[in-house]
Amino acid sequence: MEPLYGVLDMLVLRTLLFGPLHGYAIARAIHDTSRETLHIEFGSLYPALKRLELKGWIAAKWEMSEHKRRAKVYRLTPAGRTRLRQEKSEWAEFVSAVARIMKPAAREIDS
Amino acid sequence: MMVWKRLAYLLPWRRRSAERDMQEELRSIAAMAEPRELGNLTLAAEDARAEWGWTRLEEVAQDIRYAVRGLVKQPGFTVTAVVSLALGIGANTALFTLINTVTWKMLPVRDPEHLLVLGQQDPTSVSNGFTYQQYQAIRDHTHSMDVAAYSRVPLNVSIEGSTEPTAEGQLVSGNYFSLLGVRPARGRLLGPDDDRVPSGHPVAVISDGYWKGQFARDPEIVGRQLSLSGVPFTIVGVTPPEFFGVEVGTGPKIFVPVMVQPIVMPVSENLLDHPGLYSTWLRTFGRVEPGVSLAKASAQLNALAKDADWRPRNKFTGAREDVKLVLRSAATGLSDLRHQFSLPLFILTGVVGIVLLIACANTGNLVLARSAARRPEFALRLALGAGRSRLIRQVLIEALVLAGVAGACGVGLAYWATQGLVAYASAGRSAIVLDVTPDLRVLAFTAALSTLAGLLFGSVPAIRASRLDIALGGQRDLARTRHALGGPGPGKALVVSQVALSLVLLVGAGLFVRSLQNLNRQETGSDQTRVLVVRVEPRGSDQRNAAGATDRLDRIYRELIERVERIPGVQSASLARTSSLTPISFSSRLTRPSGADASVQTLMLYPRYFATMGIPPVKGRDFGDNDLRSDSPLAVIVNEAFVRETLNRQDPLGVQHRVTMVTGLSPQGVPHRQPVNIIGVVRDSRYPALRDATPPIMYQTFLQMRTGRGQMVLHVRVAGNPAEIVRQVRSAVQAIDKAVPMFEVHTLADEVDAALVRERLIATLSSAFGIVALVLVCIGLYGLIAFTVSRRAAEIGIRIALGATRSDVGGLIARQALRLVLAGIAAGLPAAWIVGRLASRQLSGVLFELTPADPITMMAATILLVLVAMCAGALPARRAARIDPIVALRNE
Repeated sequence: MEPLYGVLDMLVLRTLLFGPLHGYAIARAIHDTSRETLHIEFGSLYPALKRLELKGWIAAKWEMSEHKRRAKVYRLTPAGRTRLRQEKSEWAEFVSAVARIMKPAAREIDS
Repeated sequence: MMVWKRLAYLLPWRRRSAERDMQEELRSIAAMAEPRELGNLTLAAEDARAEWGWTRLEEVAQDIRYAVRGLVKQPGFTVTAVVSLALGIGANTALFTLINTVTWKMLPVRDPEHLLVLGQQDPTSVSNGFTYQQYQAIRDHTHSMDVAAYSRVPLNVSIEGSTEPTAEGQLVSGNYFSLLGVRPARGRLLGPDDDRVPSGHPVAVISDGYWKGQFARDPEIVGRQLSLSGVPFTIVGVTPPEFFGVEVGTGPKIFVPVMVQPIVMPVSENLLDHPGLYSTWLRTFGRVEPGVSLAKASAQLNALAKDADWRPRNKFTGAREDVKLVLRSAATGLSDLRHQFSLPLFILTGVVGIVLLIACANTGNLVLARSAARRPEFALRLALGAGRSRLIRQVLIEALVLAGVAGACGVGLAYWATQGLVAYASAGRSAIVLDVTPDLRVLAFTAALSTLAGLLFGSVPAIRASRLDIALGGQRDLARTRHALGGPGPGKALVVSQVALSLVLLVGAGLFVRSLQNLNRQETGSDQTRVLVVRVEPRGSDQRNAAGATDRLDRIYRELIERVERIPGVQSASLARTSSLTPISFSSRLTRPSGADASVQTLMLYPRYFATMGIPPVKGRDFGDNDLRSDSPLAVIVNEAFVRETLNRQDPLGVQHRVTMVTGLSPQGVPHRQPVNIIGVVRDSRYPALRDATPPIMYQTFLQMRTGRGQMVLHVRVAGNPAEIVRQVRSAVQAIDKAVPMFEVHTLADEVDAALVRERLIATLSSAFGIVALVLVCIGLYGLIAFTVSRRAAEIGIRIALGATRSDVGGLIARQALRLVLAGIAAGLPAAWIVGRLASRQLSGVLFELTPADPITMMAATILLVLVAMCAGALPARRAARIDPIVALRNE
């Protein structure tokens, strides 16, 4: 299942909260953390990374990975941290709003 | 922040490095993961580029590359379009450069925005001049301002014994250079210590140009000597190359202290000791001291202006004038040019604006014809899925590339043209010196103008491209026939407007040329080439107050006239204080027979002036030897305007002694009056003031007139070849005094030409642009008709096959051309009339005995335009008549 449109940015920011990761690791982390529910095409993730970098929410740097390979590693910037808080509260509001609408209907679907 | 990051990607190297970085990152990731897992990496990179906003950029770059390739492939089209646009843009840039240089450019001095110029405001006008005594009072009593003064003065220079041409100089106060914040290029500049003792500081600073021109950049220049009016001066320094003082358009070459005024200034008195006839010869400027408000400085100045002793006296009544002191910004300097050339610049701005419009219409037409030929290509691209916006963008980008190239050529053209214009405008007078190197403002103007022009002529084909129908584009032949026969296509509209605009321009050019002819006809016509005009200035002509000086000068002048008149081939000679280039007249205060006061222009001259100049006598006699003496009764000759206006047509020879004249002021300011004896009347002459209606004029002799001396103008009427006589006149002048500099020798015709420089400038340039417009119209019309003929070849072939004669076909095409021209004229004539009406106030300043709606000019312009346009239309018409029906139909 692909994540909702517009949520990808938040997921990337949230993932980078644990620490710097390279592009492929981010995709894997989202996949793993969502218990393999969310699958992100690298082809969608990569432009998102470029967009976030352009907006200054994440910063990139070439580093040596654990396998002695050069990899471009992304880290969360302070601006990104602020953005994440904002997106998170917006997301919470969104979820509770959707939940309020969906609750009464749930019984009907069940019955 | 995002914007800046994006903009950074406009730089190709930044883009390339980002691209490399991305490819490396994608490779490194591909190495970590299973290929299947990652999906389409090329697409990912493409999407990432889109995030950076590169896609758009790359498309634009592609369009530009494509446009350049297309333009290079069709050099004929490109060259025609670029040349006509470059002419239009270049002409506009040239005028903008001039206006910018004269009006807006900041002075190249320290803090120009804080520089203020002082003016004396009386009820009618503001004058920038002050007497030395006024300047002293301002300097000593105003504590809130630092004030400096200067005066422009022509200097008689001699370097190591050789007489040099007169040099434009400036007398400057001791704080002049320090107040302007100028640093010397060599040696030192003048300081307060050089400006303490009258006639006591024979030191000079020269300009970079003079150092280069007269001293070949001598590194040992400091300490060398030059002599000014015969007195040796030591050169102490050189000013930096960009410095020209505060008057835009002037190029002072030698700066000397104000204190040496009595040595170098060719006027009647020592103005340092005596205010003279309230000669306001100093211009003053200054800076307000830091921390003082402008209002306070202004108040302090005006407290001074209230002081009766400070205020200037009226030259005639002796009363103190009521003046105010005003401060104005001098950030962009002072300039007489602004006033003198504002009208020509205004008119020429309109002219070049029209030229640019015509050039745009022309290029629009060419681009249109070209895009019509590219319809199949566009249709194919549309069919393959290109967006319409992409096609429009491409057409516009092509137009902008074209306009950009033309703009770049235009800047070069403008630089060259502006220098030419400045040289042309300064012909025969003190040279106008302007730095016309394009600055940022000029470049921005040209860029904006080119873009605007590109959008203007690109919009028509762009709109066409947007309306293109794929189906129609596919059926080429159908489209072709429809276009050729179709109603008012944009191409035709463009040609019609071109014709209309050029008619406006031609009418304007015709008006200016005819007005100039009217002005030139004023004078004695062919005689003008037979009168030589020679400026002379004997040594000591500035020392009026020295005992016996004026008598000595009078002897020199009379001897000079006698010697020149003895030269074979010389009919008569006379000296006067004036010529049309330097109309120096003195204003006399008269009391008329009725008792009322009048102020009359007075010119100073010697006998036989009227015979020499060809001004016919009307009544009475010329000056005789008795009238030349200072102790004989005041004798004057007047013109007919004087009889008409000042005497109310009373018999001038019968009003003797009932006219009196103010001849001076006592130290207490009480005017002296003396009766005037009118001995003769001459015909009104437009010389020396060519443009204006002749005012009442009084002529007086040298010793009977109290005015400045200095330069005199020798007028010589010759019977033979003027060129041969010039040499002998020169030796006659040298025989009187070896050191007399003879400035210029030319004919009265040259003199009149130079005096009419404004009119000549407008007439010449508008004619030149009129011709350019005609050429452009011909190109446009020829292009359109030729294009139609090629499109209609099949139809014409059928007509011929069906029995139409060659002349029928030729006539068909020629009629089409004529219809276009006539439509253009129908629009152009009222347009010319309206433009004439709208600008009538400005035009009346330069049109002499002519109205803007002059029927002869309009008719001549129309006929010229029709004739020339029909020639342009005849060529393709002939080609149409020669079409071979078999070939034409086979091609179809």
